[in-house]
Amino acid sequence: MKERRLSKVFSSAYLIVILLFIYLPIGYLVLFSFNEGKSMTNFSGFSLKWYEGMFQNRMMIESITTTLIVAVVATVVSTVVGTVAAIGLSKAKRLVRSIVMEVNNLPVMNPDIVTAIGLMLLFISVKFQLGMVSLILSHISFCTPYVILTVMPKLRQLDDNVAEAALDLGATPFKALTKVIIPQIYPAILSGALIAFSMSLDDFVVSYFNTGAGINTISMYVYSMKRYNLSVNAMSTLIVVTVTVILILVNLIPWIKDKKTKKEEP
Amino acid sequence: MTKKLTAALLLICLALLPVLSLADGTLNVMNYGEYIDDQVIYDFEKEFGVRINYSTNDTPESMYTKLQTGVSYDVVVTSDYMIDRLIKEKKIRELDKSIVTNLDQLSDGVKNLYFDPDNTYSAPYLWQNVVLCYDTTKIDPAKLEEKGWSILLDPELEGHVFIYDSPRDIFMMALKALGYSANTESRDELTEAYDWLVKMNQTIHPSFVGDEMIDGMAQGEKWLAMMYSGDATYASMENEKLAVWAPLEGTCIAYDNIFIPANAANPELANQFINYVLDYPNSMKITVATCYTSPNEKVIEEVTGPGGEFEGIDSYVPRSGYEKDEIYTDNELLRTETPELLVKVKLQ
Repeated sequence: MKERRLSKVFSSAYLIVILLFIYLPIGYLVLFSFNEGKSMTNFSGFSLKWYEGMFQNRMMIESITTTLIVAVVATVVSTVVGTVAAIGLSKAKRLVRSIVMEVNNLPVMNPDIVTAIGLMLLFISVKFQLGMVSLILSHISFCTPYVILTVMPKLRQLDDNVAEAALDLGATPFKALTKVIIPQIYPAILSGALIAFSMSLDDFVVSYFNTGAGINTISMYVYSMKRYNLSVNAMSTLIVVTVTVILILVNLIPWIKDKKTKKEEP
Repeated sequence: MTKKLTAALLLICLALLPVLSLADGTLNVMNYGEYIDDQVIYDFEKEFGVRINYSTNDTPESMYTKLQTGVSYDVVVTSDYMIDRLIKEKKIRELDKSIVTNLDQLSDGVKNLYFDPDNTYSAPYLWQNVVLCYDTTKIDPAKLEEKGWSILLDPELEGHVFIYDSPRDIFMMALKALGYSANTESRDELTEAYDWLVKMNQTIHPSFVGDEMIDGMAQGEKWLAMMYSGDATYASMENEKLAVWAPLEGTCIAYDNIFIPANAANPELANQFINYVLDYPNSMKITVATCYTSPNEKVIEEVTGPGGEFEGIDSYVPRSGYEKDEIYTDNELLRTETPELLVKVKLQ
């Protein structure tokens, strides 16, 4: 009995330490976004001036919009391209499939800097003007393999007969794809899209080498600051808050729906 | 459900598009991050009816990479030795002196530098030097002034020193302490400087850090820091006990100049922009926002004079015209060797 209690104490202490390890830096960052002074280590009083500074800083706001546009467009395109590729591959000959999967793994394993420089040299050699378009194209290129990787295993679990039955019953191939195959692998597509989105948001190296004049992402903007300023904390705090709200909603909505349906069927 | 989601995503994209659309006249400007007062950019846009695409970079080297990608920038700010290199490589366009008339407002000490003797290609934007910033309650000024860079070999300072983590500047300090040029081409002198630094590292165990030191000095965490005068100014405004000293063995003066790349798409507007940032009211805003020193003579007088923003802060005006002070040249030996040697120093 005593031993059990001890191990319980130990396991919850362990959990707390891990959580602190993850959340302390974020908490510290949020706290200092409210600092009155310029210091990142000495909290001198509460103020919202860094938030004000952030909204008045056009470069910072533009870097946020650029990051979001690139992430959204890259996610949508790479999810569509990756899903279609995975479905095609799942019907291909085994040899072709394994070769293509190996090729697909290469960019995932490759260090970002190699991908970044490679893409940059490609754009320069075909005289493609670096800018928003090259930035989005490069993001699509490194996001797509992740989508294929996540969708592929789910496709393997599918029963081929279901799609065939749909065709037998008169569905066109396109209908069979959208009404039968995609609904079955929907969760995998969604998680592929989420991975692509977060990879795109996270990226610094590839963006840095493949962007043009006046187009900065958040990470590039922060990295190139000559002197740190606490508006970066303010911006990060808003991002943390947004993500938290989205996560809460994502978890709450199914729960509320569940409750409703239970009420309706007594 | 899926359709709605797609429609929503498309709508978001469309809503964000206007942000990207470009006005008729655009000017691509590249500078270090947080190295301007944004108001100057907005004012220029209003006055000239153009849009400025503003990009930032962190080092002259990454600026160089960006120029190499073929993107056309109209105005760029970067450091002296990189301009030296770009002029030699013919990648800079001459300034149009009939437009850039505000060169006349600049102080004589910052004009006609070695790499650009008549300011044919570039104009000074901001400048500074490398100094020792110290806590006057912990270190005796007379002792510091007598010893210069060698104070870093004093065991009493163990654990109380910040050093700005930049290979070229750290080796400059050692070379100057030994009486050599900061632009030495001699491998033997470089080796001696390396030995000096190893000895220093073993004696005082300094913290090699980046911008954290500005805050650290303002909070009085350490007694002494080797840092840029602009950063020392920023720290001194928060902490009255701080003072600066540029050792008599000489130090490095760093000029960040503004220029027009050879492939600029809009050179006329670029010249106007350069003229604009040199002008008294704008140069004033830039120096107040960044704490780095303005090249504009009237601005320097004003901000250091009674009631000025930097009154009584000695680091604001770097020493000029001292023969032992040097400007960096594009020196291949130091550029390639010092980063590696510095890693070795830290391991000793």
